Amino acid sequence: MKRALLALIRTFPPAFRHQFGVEIREQIEHDYDDARANGILAAIGFSVATAADLTRTSIAERIRPTWTSQSQHREDNRMSMMSEWTRDLRHAVRSLRRTPAFAIVSIGTLGLAIGVNAGMFSVVDTVLLKPLPFAHVDRLVHIAATAPGSGFPDEFGVAAEFFVQYKEQSKLIEDISTYNSFTSTLRVGDRVERVRMSSPTNSLYSTLGAKPILGRLPVASDENNAAVISYTLWQTWFGGDPSIIGKAASIASANRTIVGVMGPEFEMPLDGTLLWMSGEVRPEGITPGRFGSSLVARVKPGVTNEALETELTALAKKLPDRFGGSANYRKLIGQHHAVVRSLRDQVVGPVAAPLWVLLGAVGVVLLIACANVANLFLVRAEGRQRDLAVRRAIGADRRQLIQSQMSEAVVVAATAGVLAMIFASITLPIFLKFAPPRVPRIALTSMDATTLAFTFAAALLSALLCGLFPAIRASRPDLNRLRDGNRGATRSRSFARDGLVVGQTALALVLLIGSALLVRSFWSLRHVNPGYSTENLFTFQIAPEGPTLRNGLDYARFDLDFLDKLAALPSVESVGLVENIPLNEGTVTTTFRTEDGSNEADAGARLNYTFTAGNYFKTMSIAQLRGRSFTRDDHLTAQPNVILSRSAANLMWPGKDPIGRRLQRQGDSVWSTVVGVVDDVMQDDFRHQPKPLVYFPLVGPTPRSWIIDSPAYVIRTRRAETIAPEVRALVRQVAPTAPMYRVFTMAGLAKDSMIQLSFTMLTLAIVSALALILGAVGLYGVLSYIVAQRTREIGVRMALGAEASKVRRMVVMQGAKVVAVGIAIGVVAALASTRALASLLYEVKAVDTVTFVGMSMSMIAIGLLASYLPARRASRVDPVESLRGD
Amino acid sequence: MSQNDGTGMSTLEYHVLLALAGGPLHGYAIKDAVTDESSGTLTPRAGSMYRVIARMMTSGLVVETKGDSDPHPGLARKYYGLTARGRAALAAEARRQKNAAAVAERRLGVARGRP
Repeated sequence: MKRALLALIRTFPPAFRHQFGVEIREQIEHDYDDARANGILAAIGFSVATAADLTRTSIAERIRPTWTSQSQHREDNRMSMMSEWTRDLRHAVRSLRRTPAFAIVSIGTLGLAIGVNAGMFSVVDTVLLKPLPFAHVDRLVHIAATAPGSGFPDEFGVAAEFFVQYKEQSKLIEDISTYNSFTSTLRVGDRVERVRMSSPTNSLYSTLGAKPILGRLPVASDENNAAVISYTLWQTWFGGDPSIIGKAASIASANRTIVGVMGPEFEMPLDGTLLWMSGEVRPEGITPGRFGSSLVARVKPGVTNEALETELTALAKKLPDRFGGSANYRKLIGQHHAVVRSLRDQVVGPVAAPLWVLLGAVGVVLLIACANVANLFLVRAEGRQRDLAVRRAIGADRRQLIQSQMSEAVVVAATAGVLAMIFASITLPIFLKFAPPRVPRIALTSMDATTLAFTFAAALLSALLCGLFPAIRASRPDLNRLRDGNRGATRSRSFARDGLVVGQTALALVLLIGSALLVRSFWSLRHVNPGYSTENLFTFQIAPEGPTLRNGLDYARFDLDFLDKLAALPSVESVGLVENIPLNEGTVTTTFRTEDGSNEADAGARLNYTFTAGNYFKTMSIAQLRGRSFTRDDHLTAQPNVILSRSAANLMWPGKDPIGRRLQRQGDSVWSTVVGVVDDVMQDDFRHQPKPLVYFPLVGPTPRSWIIDSPAYVIRTRRAETIAPEVRALVRQVAPTAPMYRVFTMAGLAKDSMIQLSFTMLTLAIVSALALILGAVGLYGVLSYIVAQRTREIGVRMALGAEASKVRRMVVMQGAKVVAVGIAIGVVAALASTRALASLLYEVKAVDTVTFVGMSMSMIAIGLLASYLPARRASRVDPVESLRGD
Repeated sequence: MSQNDGTGMSTLEYHVLLALAGGPLHGYAIKDAVTDESSGTLTPRAGSMYRVIARMMTSGLVVETKGDSDPHPGLARKYYGLTARGRAALAAEARRQKNAAAVAERRLGVARGRP
């Protein structure tokens, strides 16, 4: 708010600003801080009053300057033109004051439209346009891999040997780092949570050119035992205490020393990562083919992405010669191509499309608003024809007439711009509150100087759009009017006005179709069957710890007992647990092989896996297709049994019964027997096809094979929204020191997973409703005006016996024709532009006939309604009254 | 907002001149003085106040000058002082107000005297 206020100082003329700017700034800062100390209401009150004062005085200063620079006495031509402008502006202000209704409607319409544009622009500017906070950010690239025809995903993360090869041999790369990001357990004292963390090589910081604000960066001698934490973690967990440097924390089941704190702007990757462990990649310890790591590099100046891709692809071909690997691996390397894209695209790419769409949509609203206001100006100019004709006749040249007409538009737009800033500063925080939390950097959005500049550019553009056309028309006054001496009866239909309505209709239709497509996508997503139910489910995690919990078996016993206690809570129907709950955590991918496959270490197929116990499948309503679910024995005795998802079974043994067959996870020594098959589940969201999934029991072949120490418990109960306190009490009873976290209902997780679409949809729906209302008002206004102009003609017709219904039809048809042309253009424009929505759409094509036809029909209906009201008025014209009128 | 009472000097202008009559002040001190001396009826906002100062500088009533102390560390060091013309204008305005007040008191006195 303070920044927006200070930005207003820039609206003063330069000479004035130069002399008094600093002092005004200081006074405002000082007084704002005083007011803020008295509470937010006082600050808002102060801001509104000060904004009004600055606006008023800066406009006054421009119209009637009190301060000019020393060069004032050079009365050259430019200055006299300026004073002409000043005079015109002054005149415009006076004449707008005389017609407050016109001023309020036009300023309000434009202010609203410019305001939503300013707000949306500030979001786009912060998220998409502002450079990432790294040095030489234009030289930072993200490197991934593709291998067409290999069965790997279209794009996948590289493996450690790629990093080593690129780092040592690339001539185009200056610095490079590889990292893996994951969710794991952070424990500091009593506080435990699963948080996003990353394990980069120590070169991450030199690559990005980042420095800690406290402590130091990790070095090679730290090995894996140090970590750097984010500013957010420092503030939220440690209250910004500087003495944490050198303290230990349990990070991903190991004690590590906190050596540094990064600044608030350091986010890498941009997914809420809270800490970065130390570590290096050692070439000698690499098993090739463990894909999935991210690579970020700083290239030398002038290196293009294509050149780098070519070099890196060639470098990767030499990998098998150096690191070995199976036949599969060699084949994959043969198909491999490096994928290089700028770090910026990697970070903001996924959210770019919706944001640009929304900015485009509010831009369209501005155009529609301009069309409405231009229409008002046209009507206003019409009323002045006589006055203008007089001025023309006594020698005013066209430029002067245009200028004097334009000055009203300039005053309207400038005032609207100020209104827009106030409107945007109020609504932007509300908008941001509802915005999807995962949009990078969106929290940093504020009204700043760039936004202010944008707003004034938008206001200037609006002034041109609203004013220039009517002004040019008005500058060619019909000199015959002087002779006529009256306002004239029926004038030829105004193409200008019709053109404006056609444009408005077309633009509103484009927005309407766009938001209808999103609504349909949302509807489809709501009705996707993800393989599990999301209703009546409560989920949470705890992290128990203690001397009795030493290995996987101890944890399994704890969990099974705990599940029994949960099941005994009132109203609980069934309970289960899973290591990675859908819609909240992803699952891990690795290679599995079957007994009848090859013996190569990495032969087989890529499957995801997780761990489960209790009545997980029944609780989540995941269908049991074959075989059985895990029993207590599966967890507590060393029987290597697994359950497969349907697609995993089909992938491993197509067309065969998988029950009793065995498979082996890469790196394991024992074979696991399939005892059951369950339905597929959508793990990450409702858009992507389910991944093949293997469920392991709580305990591995030995008690130390794996430890499931903080799984997600799932409870099916009618009281999913209200059961948390009872669960919390139970947790305090069985594990007094264990924190409870990641507490959700599945319904809440499902809602969050669709927030990007639902948010875009809602915003676009609001924007298109705005467009529709403005468009309808525009049409109504034009037809009303035409009816008023034709009152006399209509009166004559009715006097000669025309029926009221015929008159109505005549007026409605006039509106309908204009709307029909608008719809035709709008459909073509929508065909061209709805592609921009493609990435958000689900099960509906960007060119969807039903949506296009349906929305066009609605548009016609609204057009007819807007025409009917003036038509009804026309049909009630009293012939006698209308003829007496002149 | 400063209302102009028809003599060419607004209330705010008058109070700014009045504040400077005791010696040069910097901007923030002028604001404080105006607020105090108008008993809180005027709380000049930054835009209005500096526009008034600009107008009086342009018309030669006020000049930018050097101050002798620095009571607000961290704020701008620009001081404003009265010119001879400024002093004369303030005196004329004070006289005018006094006369106007005297006239008003006389009339009201008469009015009070009636039953």
